[in-house]
Parts: sequence; C-alpha cells; structure tokens
Amino acid sequence: MTLLDRKLLRDLWSLRAQVITIALLIGAGVTVLVGSVGTYTSLVANQDRFYDDARFAQVWAEVERAPRSVVPRLSEIPGVGVVEARVIRDVRLDWPQSALSVAGRIVALPSSGQTALNRLTLERGRWFEPGRSEVLVSAGFAETWSVQPGDPIRVILNGRLQTFSVAGIAYSPEFVYASRPGNPLPDDRTFAVLWADEDAVAAAFDLKGAFNAVAATLAPGASEKSVLAAVDAVLDRYGGRGGYGRRDQPSHRFLSDELAEQRTLALTVPTIFFGIAAFLLNIVLARLVEAQREQIAALKALGFPSRPIAMHYLKFVVVLCALGCAGGVAMGVWYGHGMLNNYRPFFRFPALIYEMPAPAPLIAVLLSVAAGSAGALAAVRRVLALRPAEAMRPAAPAAFSRAALGRRWRPTTKMALRGLAGRPVRSVLSVLGLAMAVPMIVMGLFWWDALAFMIAVQFEGVDRADAVVSFTDPVAGRAAREIAAIPGVLAVEGQRVVPVRLRAGPRDYRVGLTGLSAGAQLRVPREQDLRRVPVRPDGLTLTRGLAERLGVGVGSAMVVEALDGKRPAVAMPVVALADELLGFNAYLDIDALNRLMREGDRISQAAIRVDPARASAIWRSLSERPRVAAVAVKSVWLQVFDEKIAGMVVVSAVVLTLFGLIIAVGVVYNSARIGLQERAWELASLRVLGFTRGEASGILLAELAVQMLIAIPIGLVLARQLVATLLELRDNESFQIPVVISAPTYATATLTVAFAALGCALLVRRRVDRLDLVAALKTRE
Amino acid sequence: MVESASPASLVSQPVRPDDPVFVARKLCRTYGSGAATVFALRDLDLDIMAGEFVVLLGPSGSGKSTLLNILGGLDAPTSGTARWRDHELTGSSEADLTRYRREHVGFVFQFYNLIPSLTVLENVQLVAEIAENPMEPRDALSLVGLEQRLDHFPSQLSGGEQQRVAVARAIVKRPDALLCDEPTGALDVETGKLVLQAIDRANRDVGATTVVITHNSAIAGMANRVLRLAGGRIVGEQVNQRRLPPGELDW
Repeated sequence: MTLLDRKLLRDLWSLRAQVITIALLIGAGVTVLVGSVGTYTSLVANQDRFYDDARFAQVWAEVERAPRSVVPRLSEIPGVGVVEARVIRDVRLDWPQSALSVAGRIVALPSSGQTALNRLTLERGRWFEPGRSEVLVSAGFAETWSVQPGDPIRVILNGRLQTFSVAGIAYSPEFVYASRPGNPLPDDRTFAVLWADEDAVAAAFDLKGAFNAVAATLAPGASEKSVLAAVDAVLDRYGGRGGYGRRDQPSHRFLSDELAEQRTLALTVPTIFFGIAAFLLNIVLARLVEAQREQIAALKALGFPSRPIAMHYLKFVVVLCALGCAGGVAMGVWYGHGMLNNYRPFFRFPALIYEMPAPAPLIAVLLSVAAGSAGALAAVRRVLALRPAEAMRPAAPAAFSRAALGRRWRPTTKMALRGLAGRPVRSVLSVLGLAMAVPMIVMGLFWWDALAFMIAVQFEGVDRADAVVSFTDPVAGRAAREIAAIPGVLAVEGQRVVPVRLRAGPRDYRVGLTGLSAGAQLRVPREQDLRRVPVRPDGLTLTRGLAERLGVGVGSAMVVEALDGKRPAVAMPVVALADELLGFNAYLDIDALNRLMREGDRISQAAIRVDPARASAIWRSLSERPRVAAVAVKSVWLQVFDEKIAGMVVVSAVVLTLFGLIIAVGVVYNSARIGLQERAWELASLRVLGFTRGEASGILLAELAVQMLIAIPIGLVLARQLVATLLELRDNESFQIPVVISAPTYATATLTVAFAALGCALLVRRRVDRLDLVAALKTRE
Repeated sequence: MVESASPASLVSQPVRPDDPVFVARKLCRTYGSGAATVFALRDLDLDIMAGEFVVLLGPSGSGKSTLLNILGGLDAPTSGTARWRDHELTGSSEADLTRYRREHVGFVFQFYNLIPSLTVLENVQLVAEIAENPMEPRDALSLVGLEQRLDHFPSQLSGGEQQRVAVARAIVKRPDALLCDEPTGALDVETGKLVLQAIDRANRDVGATTVVITHNSAIAGMANRVLRLAGGRIVGEQVNQRRLPPGELDW
C-alpha cells in the first residue's frame, strides 16, 4: 500500500460522517434509478413473455351474430394470420357474498381444449371437462373471494340461472387488467371473467354454429388498418361493431398506459433525482477537496507530480461512489421488488418476476463516478494550477465589500454576511444545493395532493351520482321513474351510452358516446377551472385527451358511426371540450342521441343519488331487477381507487420523500461541516477572545440560516417547475394528473429541510464546542 | 458606556508588589502518556503582581506558551493549581474559563488572529461588544496609532499594522491581564518596536498586568521582571530597576 493510499484510508476514516452522508446521497440516487428502471423493464419483460407464450392476438372485432361459415372468409383476408371466432357475453353472477352486484364476462372455449390464440395459463385446478358444467375463473376474482377449484358458481346466462363448478383458476393475456366495461379501474370484487365450454355458452345465448367475437393475428408486415377495414367489410352485414387493434384492446390499453407512465417515471424521476444527487456530489466533493488545498500544495511542493495527486483524489471519489452504489443497487433491487409487488393486484400475470436491468447499475456507477470526479478533479486542478508557495497559504481572502453593510450591523453578523458574499460562486452553489433538497421532498409528497384534487374534481364536480345503474339493453325512459320509486332514491337521471366510432379524417376512436339531458346534475362535464361545459344537441363535447388523440378542436367536423342498433352514421362538429381526469369521453344531448339512433326515448343507464342510510338496501333491490346488468357504486369505486392507485403512489411517495430527506441531510450536513472546516481558525480565534461556544457557532449557523432563507423559496419554485415538467412528460390517457401542490406539501417540504438543517446545525455545533483553541493560535490561517 | 476615556485622560498605573494576581503552584503539564510522555511544565511556581510587566524568555519547547495558555484559560494543567485573583484556572468549567477570558484577559498572538472579513474598526468593535466596560474602539486604535486606517481590511495592512490592530483589540476591553505570545515574532525590528510601544502603553495607561513571551532577549529591557524558562521550569529571574522605553531597545 502506498503512503498516499494510507492517507486515503485515514482521510476516509476521519471524514467518516461526511463519507457516510455522501454515500447515502449517491445511494439514494442509485436506488431510485435501479428500482424504477427495473420495475419498468420487468413489467415490459413480463408482458412480452406472457403475450408471446399465450399468443396474444393483434386484432379483435365484435359482431352481433355471424355464422361460423364466415370464418374462412376472414382467414382469407390478406395479412391475416390465425383467426379465432368466439362467443363472448356479459353476464351477471349470483354471488351472495357481495353486497354489490357482480358482473361477469363469459368466454366460450372449444371443447377440444386450448385455443390457438389468447391461451390461458392455469394457476390452479384443471381444464374444464366438456358437458360437465364447469368453468375456469379469472385469478383476480378467485383471489379476492378465495374461490377454490370445486366451488360452485352461479351465473345468470341470458336471464336463466345456471350453476357451474369451478374447475380451475386461470390467467389470460386479454384480461391482465380486468376491468368491467365502462369502469376505468380493475375491480376484482365485482367483476369476474369465466371460461366455459363453447357448446353450453352458445346454446344459452342462441349462438350455436355462430360467433359474436373474433380475434386474429397479423401476418408479418401486414397493415393493421387494412386488415381491420377488410374484417369490418366481411362482418358488416352480420352486425359488425367494428374491429380494433391492440392499442384499443381494453386490458392492453390500460397496461400500456401504465407502462408508458412507468417509463416516464422510470426515466424522469430518477433522472431528476439522480441529476440532483450528482450535482450535489459534485459540489460537496469540490469543497471537500478545496479544504485540502494546503495538503495538495504540500504534496506538490514535496515533488509529487500532478497525476498521482489527482489519482489520489479520484480514488477517494471512487471509494465513495462504490460505497454508495453498492448500497444503492441493493436498495434499488429491494425497492423494485416492492414497486412490482404493488402492481400485482393490478396486473394479473401468471408470474411477475423482478428482473434487474443489467445496464442500470453500470450507468449509475459511471454517472456517479463521473459527477463526483468532475467536481473533485476540477478542485484538484484549481489547486495544482497555483504555485506551491501560493497554494500552501490559505486562499486569498475574498475581496470583502464594505458597501451595503451599515454601522448598525453587529460585527458577528457582518462576518456571516461577508463570509457568504466574499465567495459568491461557492455560496450560490451551496444555496442551489440546499434548494434542491426541497423539490426532492415535494416530488414525493405532491402525489397525495394531485390525487385528492383529482378525486375532488372528478367525484364532487363531474361525477356527482352515488351510483350508476346499467341495464342489460337500452330500456324505455320510464325505467328511470321506476328506480326513482325505490325508497331512499333521491334523484335519478337517465343516460344513454352508445358504442360509436368517432372519425376525424384518417383518425378514429371507439368510445361510448354518452347522452345527457340538458339540465343534468349528476354528470356534469367541466373545464379545468370547474366551469360547466354545455352538452348540446347540435354537436359533440369531447374530453380534451380524446380531442388530442383525434387531432380535433372546437369547430372540427367529425363523423359519428354508431356500432349498435341500426348503426346510423352522421356528420357532427365538435362544439366544446371538457377536462376530465379519467378516461376518454364524448357527450351529446340525450334527445339528439336518441333521434340519431331512431329508437325513441331510451336510456341504457341511470345515475342516481341515494339516502346514505338506505344505500345497501337500494343496491340489493337494484341487483335483483332482471334488466339491471350492474350497479357501479361510487364509494366502492373510490375505495378501489384508494387501495390500488393511491396505494401504489404512496409507496413511491414515501420512498421518494425518504430519499429526499437523505439528500437534504447530506447537503446540509456537508455544507455545514465544510463551512466549519473553512472557518475553524476564525471561530477558534473568537473563542480565544472570550466568545462563548454559542456565540462562535452562532456565526456559522447564521451563515447556514441565511443560505436556508434564500434556498427555500428557490427550492419551492424549483419544486413546482420540476413537478410540472414531470407531469408534462407523463403521457397517460387514462389518468391525467394536474399540477396541484398544496400549501401543506410546501410547508412539509420546507419544515423537513429546515429541521434537517437544524439537526445538522446541532451536530456541527458540537464540533465547534470541541475546537482546539491552542492549535488555532499556533498556525497562521 | 460609563467612562468614555480618551487616551489623554489615562494616567500611568503603578505596580502593586503586595498584590499578586497570577498565582501558580506546582504547575505540571504533560502531553501523551507512558513512555511517550512529554513534560511541557514541571512543578512550576509563579507569582505575578498587579500591573506588573513580565517577559518570559526561553527557547522553543521551554514551556512558555503552555504557561501563557494556562494563565489565559486556554489550556488546563495536568496537576498543580493556577489562580487569577479569586478565579481558579484549574478545574474550572469551559464556560467559566470563557467568562474569565472575556472579562479579564486580552490576547495578542504571533499570527495576529484577526478576522479577515472584518475591517480594522470592526475587529476591535467585535471585542468591545462583548466586554463589560470597554473603551471606545476608536480610542483603542488611537493608542496604537491606527486611527487613520479604520476601514481597511486586515489583508490591506502590513504585518506590524495587523499586530497593532490585535493589540488595540486586546486592550479595548480594558483587560486586567494582557497576554502576548511572540507579538513581534513575525515582524522586523522597527515594526516590532511600534507594536511593543503599543503594548507598553497598554500596560502603563490601562494598568493591565502584562505577560509577554519572546525568545528575543532584547525585549527583556522593557519589563519589570524577566523570567527565563527551560525544560518546563523557571531557571532564572531578573528584576529591572528601570524599564526601557521600547524605542530604546536594541536588537
């Protein structure tokens, strides 16, 4: 071991508190980087693997009723690979365990067993046996209700109650994200997917020898658009409801939205986080090296060439980074596992395995070493550029200004202020470093504000009903009056939802067009500032996200093609845009919609308001009505939202806040420690002159306090900016998160950083107490 | 301020030989332990009278600085006792020693120990502010002949000027004791004399009991008493019948 290496070890030991805080700072940055990137890449890898193994289809189409004989014509379409025609129907479950009605979707599978596409993976149990009234149940529902193979399950098939026995529990690539139609979040409590023998299902729905759904793969290089057009052309005369690609397959769409979200978060948050950590590392190491100025100069004076001296400090940085990265990678894997576990109730994959992205730790190590050594080596170079004689003396006193400091200031205050003003570059960097601690914490906490705001806007402003009752088929408007007659129902508004395809030039989108009555109070489209947006008979009101997807604005001409009933198509302009946080929606006046459909006064769902005391009786009463397909209760929805989305956000928010705190402490502590190192001589001199410990450390603490006072407002502004940038980069169609940061969040971030500063200040104060007074007198500064 | 004394109103204070202010008995100070123990002071006895000007002479390592640091409340002896009037300097708490330094002691050091970010006047004000009965800082600076350079920063002054600021800073509090560690060690002869003059005036005019450490025996002439130290003990004492004015010193 060379003597310089020995010095290195001793330096590391004597600076251990600083070494630990800096290593933690690097570690926090690496943890977020490795954890987030790992979560994203793992999700993508799991998705790819599952889709491949299960042979997930690429295009889908739904149709009223088409004979099996049409299938060969679909297979002949140029560009189509494998075609699979199926029967899929929405059903209701008779599930007494649940206070709310449970909706189901039953998918018919051939008696021969596995299908060619969208293959199931059995989690438990076995395949159903033909002719024995057995079903497979989706894993999410089974887990939620502890359904075991062998359990009975009662299903209302086309109005007729039928009891099946559960043969097995399965995963399907089509229902990774299993949400009930019209419900933007998966709810395993009230939605089940069932797979049963084709013959039984087809018979129940009078679809023997026919199909109502198609899934297909594309031949390599085929155009999805032209295949879909050809499929639509074939199915049109059988009541085709339009084909769609993976992008619009509900499960895939939510999954890819979430992955897009993860990608943004996996890249932006760690980049910001790591960037700040690297910046701080740079500053801290530069100051740390600068504090060794005299030693460096002495080494040079003794004849050491520049290279070994630079290497010496480079090693110092590498050791620090190695410590930080080793801890950070380990923590990152743990964090990634945790994040991925949070996705389990959301995304039903047969296995959700965390896979560490190999380059992530490498990138983390390289970046941290680069950032750290840039700071340290720049400082070494600055010292080496000086003549040794000059460098061995302390840095020339800065040009202190007499100006702007009136006689009223106390000399100790002047010391603190001139200490800051005398080295403006360093002071600015320290202030920036301290300021960065604030956004670290805000970026963790603001999610709560955003969610609270989203919930308030969506569920108090837009979606004001306590529940939405959907019917199996559109019913006469008077059904609303029947519901109103149930005791405890305070208000009812009928709504008509028609599946449509909206076309604007080359772009199109399938969406449920919602018809609302003129004075509707239970569903109120609004602008971001909560202003009411009118729903008109002469044109469409679209949510902003949908308008962007279709590339239209107010005044743009659109074509509305109904995919139901007589399937009329009509040209219609966009007349207003609404801001909604959840999903894509389109609105039209209900009478106009009914006129368009030429079906008279019809409603397909009813929004209701109820007396909370009688709510459960009302849900029960509604569930028993034969034409009611489902009752979506807002409080349940909110609970799901809270458990799933908020649960997920909370974990990352807590982790980010914690790491923000680590970074804050790292910066503040090192700032104060190095500040002390630089002023130790001066403070010891004051102590000799009879200043008390409190008075002497007061100068250092005043300097820190001034820096904090400047840093915190800057930090708050930076925080807002960074959050806005983060949300700007987010691209999620399902959940649009507004830039909302509450005063308590700002206050918490401010207080956290202030308390971190206070804690560090007290630690540093203890060091001032132990200053060696005699030593200060023996040396010249 | 109770007495805003101008330099002209100050009168020379006599030595009171019957009034010992510093009393040290069997003072020992060791560093390290076991075989590596180094004795800085060995069983040293000392009495210094009120208003006395004492010069401590001796080579490096003779224990002068250690003695001065103990008298100034900056260091504690390993054994033995040291007292300033009724202040015990041995076994006192850090807070008591701080108060002792603050109320009674003025220091001047070889390397001045001025605060670089404060001007000449501010360096002196710094101490005036924490003293109970200080002089007007400008008056203290007039005593050392620096009334023209009040707004300069230490880095804009010569070494001698800096050391005179240090003297002004030491006397502004009207210290009972003025302790100087090699005050001219870093200065040339002529500059050194100016600093010694300032110290001499502080002793005569303010009446501060003054202890000056030096290894320059020429300075001994301006003292009432000269103590020679070697190996941590007092090995010689010389009483001057007449104190030479610093201007007449020759080295």
